[in-house]
Amino acid sequence: MKLVTGGAFQGKLGWVKREYHLQEGWIDGETCKMEEIWNCGGIFRFHEYIKRALEMGMLIREEEGDEFVRKLYERNPRLVIVTNELGYGIVPVEPFDRLYRERTGRICTGLAALSKEVVRVVCGIGIKLKEAEEEEHD
Amino acid sequence: MMHLVTGGSGSGKSAYAEEQILKSPEKKRIYIATMLPFGEEGRQRVERHRRMRKDKGFETVECYTGLSDLRLQEDCAVLLECVSNLTANEMYQEEGAGEDTFQAVTQGIRSLNRQAGTLVVVTNEVFSDGICYDHSTMKYMETLGKINQYLAGEADQVTEVVYGIPLSLKKGDV
Repeated sequence: MKLVTGGAFQGKLGWVKREYHLQEGWIDGETCKMEEIWNCGGIFRFHEYIKRALEMGMLIREEEGDEFVRKLYERNPRLVIVTNELGYGIVPVEPFDRLYRERTGRICTGLAALSKEVVRVVCGIGIKLKEAEEEEHD
Repeated sequence: MMHLVTGGSGSGKSAYAEEQILKSPEKKRIYIATMLPFGEEGRQRVERHRRMRKDKGFETVECYTGLSDLRLQEDCAVLLECVSNLTANEMYQEEGAGEDTFQAVTQGIRSLNRQAGTLVVVTNEVFSDGICYDHSTMKYMETLGKINQYLAGEADQVTEVVYGIPLSLKKGDV
């Protein structure tokens, strides 16, 4: 599993497609079917996927988020996840916005712990925060 | 020894900061809680953090304003969480320092640093959502930004935590 994060409009998806030679098999977290996450190659706008899940009443509790992390790693261990880095702002006024920000952060922290590689993209440049010790052969 | 830990909301910075205290040589561990628990959600957050510290031998001391007046027994490991709450309390609470928030918070933390063997201070990155808030909120952000810069200057070590991964911004003597 690989996790790529960074602010909005930083060229995360472009970086990841180039760097990982992964052009096909992507789903869009904003529009995909919820079950597609279990067998796709990569998901971008992962934060939107979490937002939709919350709107459907899923992942509300912290334990549900932890369970989702475990299940995702079990069922799709080679998944590449591209997500906006949230949580670098003032605490939002709306309770839903706070939950969304909080849950996305905790889920991504869980996924980062399981990922071989974690990258933060700023201005289109990827900085590796966590690197696999040995090269993975695709 | 002062270690400043920063990061966004839900970044895992609290868990990381706690680990640093658990690794420190001091036996006595003190947690300084600064969050006024507003409403049900606030109570839940406080409860969550309390649960995380349970059985780790932390004594919790509540301090919402006037950190300079706090007296601790010598050579403790102290975890202060977090500067963003402390700053808001000093600015907005009736008993707070108001205009003198910068002084109150930075002097309070210096005083802790003199008393503690190991001091880990948690702060918060609230500066990058690109939203222009009302005057009072912008003033808060400016004050917290200045406090963070000052603390980073004073600290022996500064770490940003991103999704549980520590990034060293200032390294201590090894």
